[in-house]
Amino acid sequence: MTSLIVEGVRLSVPDMAVPVLNVDHLMIGSGAHVAITGGSGSGKSSLLNVLSGLERPTAGRVVWEAVDIAALSESGRDRWRAEHVGLVMQDFHLFPGLSALENVLLPAKLARVASEALKQRAGELLVKVGLSRPDQHVETMSRGEMQRVAIARALLREPGIIVADEPTASLDAESGEAVANLLLSIAVETGCTLLVASHDPRLVERMKRRIAMRAGEIVSDTVDAESSA
Amino acid sequence: MISFILADLRRLWLGAAVMILLVALATALGVTVTLQERALRLGSARAADRFDLVVSAAGSETQLVLSSVFLQPSPLPLMPGDVLAKLNADPRVAWAAPVGFGDSFLGHPIVGTTTKLITGTTTGFSAGAVFAHEGEAVVGAGVDLPVGAEVKPMHGTAETGGETHKEIAYRVVGKLKPTGTPWDRAILVPVQAVWHLHGLGAHDDHDDDHDHADTAGAANAPAEPEHHDEHDHHHGHVDADAPVNEAFTQEAPGLPAILVKPKTIADAYRLRQEYRSGSTLAVFPGEVLTKLYATLGDAKFVLAAVSAGSQVLVAAALLLVSLIHVGQRRRQIGALRAFGAPRTAVFSIVWSELFGLVALGIGLGFALGYTGARFIGTAFTTQTGVILPVEFAMEDWRMASALLLLAALFAAIPALLAYRQSPAQALRA
Repeated sequence: MTSLIVEGVRLSVPDMAVPVLNVDHLMIGSGAHVAITGGSGSGKSSLLNVLSGLERPTAGRVVWEAVDIAALSESGRDRWRAEHVGLVMQDFHLFPGLSALENVLLPAKLARVASEALKQRAGELLVKVGLSRPDQHVETMSRGEMQRVAIARALLREPGIIVADEPTASLDAESGEAVANLLLSIAVETGCTLLVASHDPRLVERMKRRIAMRAGEIVSDTVDAESSA
Repeated sequence: MISFILADLRRLWLGAAVMILLVALATALGVTVTLQERALRLGSARAADRFDLVVSAAGSETQLVLSSVFLQPSPLPLMPGDVLAKLNADPRVAWAAPVGFGDSFLGHPIVGTTTKLITGTTTGFSAGAVFAHEGEAVVGAGVDLPVGAEVKPMHGTAETGGETHKEIAYRVVGKLKPTGTPWDRAILVPVQAVWHLHGLGAHDDHDDDHDHADTAGAANAPAEPEHHDEHDHHHGHVDADAPVNEAFTQEAPGLPAILVKPKTIADAYRLRQEYRSGSTLAVFPGEVLTKLYATLGDAKFVLAAVSAGSQVLVAAALLLVSLIHVGQRRRQIGALRAFGAPRTAVFSIVWSELFGLVALGIGLGFALGYTGARFIGTAFTTQTGVILPVEFAMEDWRMASALLLLAALFAAIPALLAYRQSPAQALRA
């Protein structure tokens, strides 16, 4: 749905001479399924942070459709991310004390965009990810169930981009498999661009395009033959 | 947002409760000190209100006010009895009444005085009427004795090892309505009975030497045992059925104090001027209290400083706790931002949570402080009869607003910290 052009992106941190991220050129087509791999410290999380607007690059352009998010203000990037990006993280980041439904709706409520329609959609999404008790408090759920809640939350505002950072790393094999299936089927169904940073071969191998990183740079970029990404 | 804050507080209820309690206690301390100090000032001023001018022998002004207005037992020097006759004859005086202290019954001071003083300083009787015979007594509203009860006067007080007079038992004939002054705790008897009981007065055939006078007026003799011995000789000239005689002559015995009701304010000042010289002392009790408060002002300042200090300590502790708390929740706050909560929402959450707790603590502190001050006031009233009017004044609401404003600013510090924090860094931590 949303295509990406990255040009001359550098991300430096104050006390390191070498930038933690150095990507001269990267293009990702709309609706692509991309896995980003690499060891710890390879820069794959930094890349996802820059692409999702969580972090502003020190230099360069990050253009999603027509918008250069590297040029947006902090609040501007927050707003853009809230509208366009669904984030799924390794640690779920659900809020204890709230129900599954409340967790799905929380960011929208805090941004004051939670309409009746959105509330209804939240309930539907929970059913879709396979949860039958929207009022269950999240701290009483299994890790697999928690990640499903997190995926429902990511999908609430119909984002064009889903960014998942190690979505299966803290799950057992079975839950990991289920979450991987869910992410892929949703991406296919909605036509979202899916960016996944992962070590998990079962997830990585199912993505059509694989970008490998080392020391903040892209070292390989392979596309499965049948794919047009 | 509210549901998120509530869920958060439910999870951290113990910490939140301790925080509220800390703020409440620090606030309550300040509120109690302020309210109690004001109540003491107002209450004692109201107690002194009924006594326009007090005349006594030259001595301590403060002692005079404490003894006459607050009925605190202490030996007062005596002035000659002719002062009373002179005052009663003065055209500027509405009435002048002698007061004789020294005896007590069940811890209540027995005050010898006149019917004029009773009608002039009280609001009437809830039962019975004023005394008409030497053996009759009128009790204040705070004395737990019914009309008809017997009062056996004790010389001095039980604590100071006083002995009971065997010659007379007063009969209670009237009970006064409450006045909110220490006189509510007093048993009022005809002054002539006090004189006669101690072997003094017009009907007494003994010589009126200094020792006698001392015993009759301020019968606090226990401190000086030889008075006791001497005083025993003079017992036993009381006729309980004799009518009350309030025509005081030049030969009246020595007196510790005379309460004077001048006709006008100008008269009051002139009388005070006149009776201030030589062997007598004349004071406006209200003015003496004002001077006393000026001295006590320093004590109030110390108390206020202590309570302000405790508030600063609590504020500092809370700031520390909330900064640590925000630090611990960096990831959570970062996640909120990452998932699309605006920065302003993050600021509002942290700010409202903290401000809500502190505001609740301040509110609770005011309630607690008020209850505490009322409690102290009630205990004080039981002991002294002085009603302490514990009430909030305009300045208290100003203080509450100032505290709330401070809390609002103070809650903004961690909120700003959370606002400024980068979500990516927070999630990495």
